Amino acid sequence: MNRSREEKLLNPKAGGRIEAAKEYGIDLTQIVENLRLSPAERIKRNDQAVNSILKFANAMKRAKADQKTSQHDKPIRSGSTP
Amino acid sequence: MINLFEVARLLSAAGVDFVIVGGVAIRSHGGNYITEDLDICHSRSRDNLKRLANVLAPLNPRPRGIDANLPFIFDWSTLQHGTNFTFVTSMGDVDLLGEVKGLGGYDDLLKDSITIDLDGFPTHVLSIQGLINAKEAAARPKDEPGLKVLYALREAELNDD
Repeated sequence: MNRSREEKLLNPKAGGRIEAAKEYGIDLTQIVENLRLSPAERIKRNDQAVNSILKFANAMKRAKADQKTSQHDKPIRSGSTP
Repeated sequence: MINLFEVARLLSAAGVDFVIVGGVAIRSHGGNYITEDLDICHSRSRDNLKRLANVLAPLNPRPRGIDANLPFIFDWSTLQHGTNFTFVTSMGDVDLLGEVKGLGGYDDLLKDSITIDLDGFPTHVLSIQGLINAKEAAARPKDEPGLKVLYALREAELNDD
C-alpha cells in the first residue's frame, strides 16, 4: 500500500533521500506543515517569515545605533578634583 | 514590506507569460525554504516584455547592487537589451531570467511546469524535477540545502512504497 507524503516525511525509509535530508538538518516537520497549506498560502507564509526576519534585523540595527549614541553622550570625567 | 506573493499575482493578473523558479517555487511545492526574491523566467516576446514592464514599473525597480543615485530607465526596451536582470522593487527583489542554465528559455520551462492558483490567477511554477535539474546544472554550494529539500519532496511524491 502506498504511504501518504506525510507518512513518508515523518517516517522516512532507510537509505532514502528523505532520511538524507533529515540527517543533513532539514526540519521535515516544517515541510509536513507546509504541505497542509495551499501553494498560495505557502508563498504568503514565506513573505510573513521574511518580513519578521527583517523586523528583527531592523530592531538589531536600531539597538546598535542607540548603543553607539549613548556611549557618545557619556560625560567625560576629569582626571582630578581640586 | 516584502510581498512576493502580490508581485506574482499582479504578473499573472496582467497576463504576463512567466514561470516561477528558484526559492518561491521550492516554497510553493512545500519546501521550508525562506527567500527574499522572486525569480521568474519570462517569455521574451515584445508584447510580453511590455506587459512585464507595465506591472513592474509602478514598483520602482532599480538594478540590485548598483548605486541607487545612478540614472536608470526601466521600460520594456531595457528588458529587451539584456537576458537576465536582478532588481530591487518596493515589494521585494525580483529577478527576471530570459534563460535558466540547464533548462533553456520560457517555452522549455513551461513544458516542465505545474499550475498553481494565486487567489484566482493560474500561475506556472517549475516542477520539482525541473528545479532539481536547474540546481544541479548551476552546481552552486549555496543550493545544497534547497536540493536536499527538493530530493526529499520528490521522494515523498513517488508512489513507490
